[in-house]
Amino acid sequence: MEQSPTTRRIDGWRWSGRLFLTFLLGFTVMPMAWMFITSLKTGFAAMQYPPQWWPAEPTLENYWRLIDPSSSVGQDFLHYFWNSMWVSTLTTVLAVAVAVPAAYAFSRFRFPGRNFLFFAVLLRNMFPAVVFLVPLFILMKVLGLVNTHGSLVLTYLTFGLPLAIWLLKGFYDNIPIQLEQAARIDGATRFQAFFLIVMPLSTPGIIATSIYSFIGAWNEYIYAYTFLTKHDQMTLPVGIQRFFSENATDWPGLMAATFLMSVPVVVLFLVLQRYFVRALTEGAVKH
Amino acid sequence: MAEVVLKDVVKSYGSIYAVNHVSLKVEDGEFVALVGPSGCGKTTTLNLVAGLIPLTRGEIWIGDREVSGLDPKDRDIAMVFQNYALYPNKSVYKNLAFPLQMRRLGRAEIDSKVQAAAKVLDITHLLERKPRELSGGQQQRVALGRALVRDPRAFLMDEPLSNLDAKLRVQMRSEIKRFHQDMKATVIYVTHDQLEAVTMADKMAVMNGGFLQQYDSPANVFANPVNMFVASFIGSPAMSLIPLEAGSDGGTTVLRSPEGWSFALDGRNAAKVAKAKGKRVVLGARHSTVRLLPNAEPGTVPGKVYTVEPTGDVTFAQVFVSGALVNVSLPPTYAIRPDETVNVLFDQARMHLFDGETEMALTA
Ligand SMILES: Nc1ncnc2c1ncn2[C@@H]1O[C@H](COP(=O)(O)OP(=O)(O)OP(=O)(O)O)[C@@H](O)[C@H]1O
Ligand SMILES: [Mg+2]
Repeated sequence: MEQSPTTRRIDGWRWSGRLFLTFLLGFTVMPMAWMFITSLKTGFAAMQYPPQWWPAEPTLENYWRLIDPSSSVGQDFLHYFWNSMWVSTLTTVLAVAVAVPAAYAFSRFRFPGRNFLFFAVLLRNMFPAVVFLVPLFILMKVLGLVNTHGSLVLTYLTFGLPLAIWLLKGFYDNIPIQLEQAARIDGATRFQAFFLIVMPLSTPGIIATSIYSFIGAWNEYIYAYTFLTKHDQMTLPVGIQRFFSENATDWPGLMAATFLMSVPVVVLFLVLQRYFVRALTEGAVKH
Repeated sequence: MAEVVLKDVVKSYGSIYAVNHVSLKVEDGEFVALVGPSGCGKTTTLNLVAGLIPLTRGEIWIGDREVSGLDPKDRDIAMVFQNYALYPNKSVYKNLAFPLQMRRLGRAEIDSKVQAAAKVLDITHLLERKPRELSGGQQQRVALGRALVRDPRAFLMDEPLSNLDAKLRVQMRSEIKRFHQDMKATVIYVTHDQLEAVTMADKMAVMNGGFLQQYDSPANVFANPVNMFVASFIGSPAMSLIPLEAGSDGGTTVLRSPEGWSFALDGRNAAKVAKAKGKRVVLGARHSTVRLLPNAEPGTVPGKVYTVEPTGDVTFAQVFVSGALVNVSLPPTYAIRPDETVNVLFDQARMHLFDGETEMALTA
């Protein structure tokens, strides 16, 4: 096939681009792959030097142990998993329930103090999260919330809501106000116009916001570590520490637990991915 | 259908008066075009009638009902938006059905009404498509369909054709006009395009700065503009306005330029000028009422050609007269070149005179 110089030059660019992306991919995938490979090893094989790139005798033993409710490790792991799931889900539901009306109000209504309030909402994001550790701990103590999941949900909302509101406001800003006006003229109340017309259009935004809140809560470590001291309350990131025992670290067990911990997030992404793609390709909400 | 009445309507945003004491009566079945420059309050007026924004003061009546405080859904009006505002995630069918669903009609009734509207607008083959799969003209039809599917008391349209290309615009213009005649619909139609207003409307409401300037038939607005704003806004090319000074020369009333030339006015125009508050008078002349003569004669004034634009049918020239640009239309055979000095004659019977102080038209 003949090629013009232009296509050849474009091909050149394309190939160097692919090479770069491949490199990046390796960079991000390698640690994950190593984590997975290690989780298939026996404790002894994991410590061998030179390392085995692929275990001589791969085993799923580490996984079975974690999800076996009759073993003590399994019991704990499943308990932490459930705690994490509960805290993250509650955080996500509350974040969306608050962020949707807040973002809509910021996007659509002009009211006194609007700019100040919006700035105040974003102000939180200008400080590193750890700055609030001590004040929030004292606050939780006063409220009697230390060692409850409520303390975590409240904290995660504090951190998650500003970005959630900001993100959703962007979505609402992009939905022409005429759509709601048309709906109201067509016989809808304000609420109906919102629920029947605007909400469906902002679904990709709501899903993106949910995933963001969920992952934030799911992975959080410092606050969970500080606010919860009782074993049966702990969430996964803290609970996984169990695998560092005093004298020896169970690397394969730790890796298997970490791998399982990433499963919900990955599944969430895969299931909801099409909404992101649709939001990007369809441009349904742009004029 | 019903009449729509605005009584002393005011809408202010803080210190900005978007609509200022507008009173207007649209008769049942009348097509009224709302025109004016950008930001003059056309959309705001329409939104007030629709109930999308609250009134600051005044009353709005639709038919025999005052609707000032009512929700849009209770006013029983339909609206077509400039960007069509079709529901992007609903099919054309569902877009048309939405207003009927909101009024809790039965499924069979909805279907027959949607099909009927689709047939009128020739969009039956598009019913299953999503709005984004339609051309601009087709989207426009669907928007129109959604408005007429439920037989409202009045139609409000905000620049419904401005997103279409020129050819489609002309076509849709006659279709909307046709639809208005067939339905005997009461229509308030906002447009930037005077040609649209003139060709479609029974009456024209000219707005500027939130104020209603003139409300009359297009022919009357064109022939008797009430003030300098309307005079220069309506008509294309625009009416030329030349600021002059009234004076007298041996008993006859004349208009005099700062450069020193003057020309005499006939009796009727002299009577108009006599009504002016001060000496400043503005002469208004449409391009077709101005002539260029080869030699200076009584009544002619000197001018200098600025641009010449042959359009085939007619040649438009712009001529500087006392510092103002005057549009003149000439036969295409007329030989004329930029920078040439010419003698300009204004038609006394068809000239307009405005009070230089108040900018209002002078009447005899
Ligand atoms: N929500 C608002 N807050 C403050 N001022 C507003 C608001 N809406 C409109 N205005 C002002 O009111 C005036 C009239 O606006 P409007 O949209 O009615 O103009 P328009 O005649 O429709 O103009 P265009 O031809 O550009 O559509 C403008 O000066 C505008 O800036
Ligand atoms: Mg407008």
